[in-house]
Amino acid sequence: MLRAAGRRFLRLGSEHRAPTAAVAARAYHERVVDHYDNPRNVGSFDKNDPTVGTGLVGAPACGDVMKLQIKVDDATGKIVDACFKTFGCGSAIASSSVATEWVKGKHMEEVLSIKNTEIAKHLSLPPVKLHCSMLAEDAIKAAVKDYEAKKAKLEAGNAETTQTEKVDGA
Amino acid sequence: MASRFAPRLLLQRLSTLRRARRTSSILVASEAPADVGGGGLFSPPGPRSALGPRCVSRVSFSTRPSALDERQNPAAIDYRSLMSEEEFHTLADETIHDLLEKFEEYGDAIQVDGYEVDYGNHVLTLKLGSLGTYVINKQTPNRQIWLSSPVSGPARFDWDSTAKTWVYRRTKAALLQLLEGEVGQLCGEPISLR
Repeated sequence: MLRAAGRRFLRLGSEHRAPTAAVAARAYHERVVDHYDNPRNVGSFDKNDPTVGTGLVGAPACGDVMKLQIKVDDATGKIVDACFKTFGCGSAIASSSVATEWVKGKHMEEVLSIKNTEIAKHLSLPPVKLHCSMLAEDAIKAAVKDYEAKKAKLEAGNAETTQTEKVDGA
Repeated sequence: MASRFAPRLLLQRLSTLRRARRTSSILVASEAPADVGGGGLFSPPGPRSALGPRCVSRVSFSTRPSALDERQNPAAIDYRSLMSEEEFHTLADETIHDLLEKFEEYGDAIQVDGYEVDYGNHVLTLKLGSLGTYVINKQTPNRQIWLSSPVSGPARFDWDSTAKTWVYRRTKAALLQLLEGEVGQLCGEPISLR
């Protein structure tokens, strides 16, 4: 709902921009606007699904919250799907959207090397919005960390049950 | 109709008056809005934080990772371990004003095309023409100073009360040293910010 309202606001801005050239200096880069108008991978996975890792970063008080989720193929360690939900400015939304695009099909270790500078460059973010790209990088890392923590917990749980089974069997 | 809104407006006005009247001396008793953090993800800051002193203990912000560490799930801010907003504003404003003065003096001394220092709404912008732009601002909910550097990208500095400096936890870099190093190198003339 917030995004729709924000989109309306953005569209309003662009309509009024045409007559005066001076306002154009502060425009969002077209890639950012593209991610806003054509959102990719917006959505949610079931966070209790063992193949899903959820990264939640930011704080509403700061004006930015990003939730980035990845779906991992247990066998290969590859990220087969990703989705996001972001509360924040256009740059934050675009940064997290780009992040979901870039992690798809990559191995978990590989995505940890995605740098905020690459995201910022891709979207031509102005200096004041570099923090959004860093948050997106953090979201990716948090999602991977969450998945690995869940996996470790599951494996510890499985190890315990096999031990008890052995004892019963004996 | 007016009477329904008046109490809240009055409260807001009181809180801004209180903030304006206080001197710059560090408080011994600090206000901490102990109930706000409990709301979880979506408790807004602002007027509520001025609602009466709940905590009287003064907390100094050390370098050990606190609830504010961004690596952990940071969605809910633990206000009990934060320094007071008053103290933060005093410290941060002092740092930023100091930087503003020094950057202005520096600009007079060196020759860099497009050198411009801008300060508005507590945001300090240092333009170095084609060499890039620095943006330094306060991030009050986190009690941090945020920096955007054309050299090292974004960074978030917390106040280290033992070292009396602003430190970026991930790299252990100190704000003033970082700026001195980068700006000095970019512009070719050493600058002292400490």
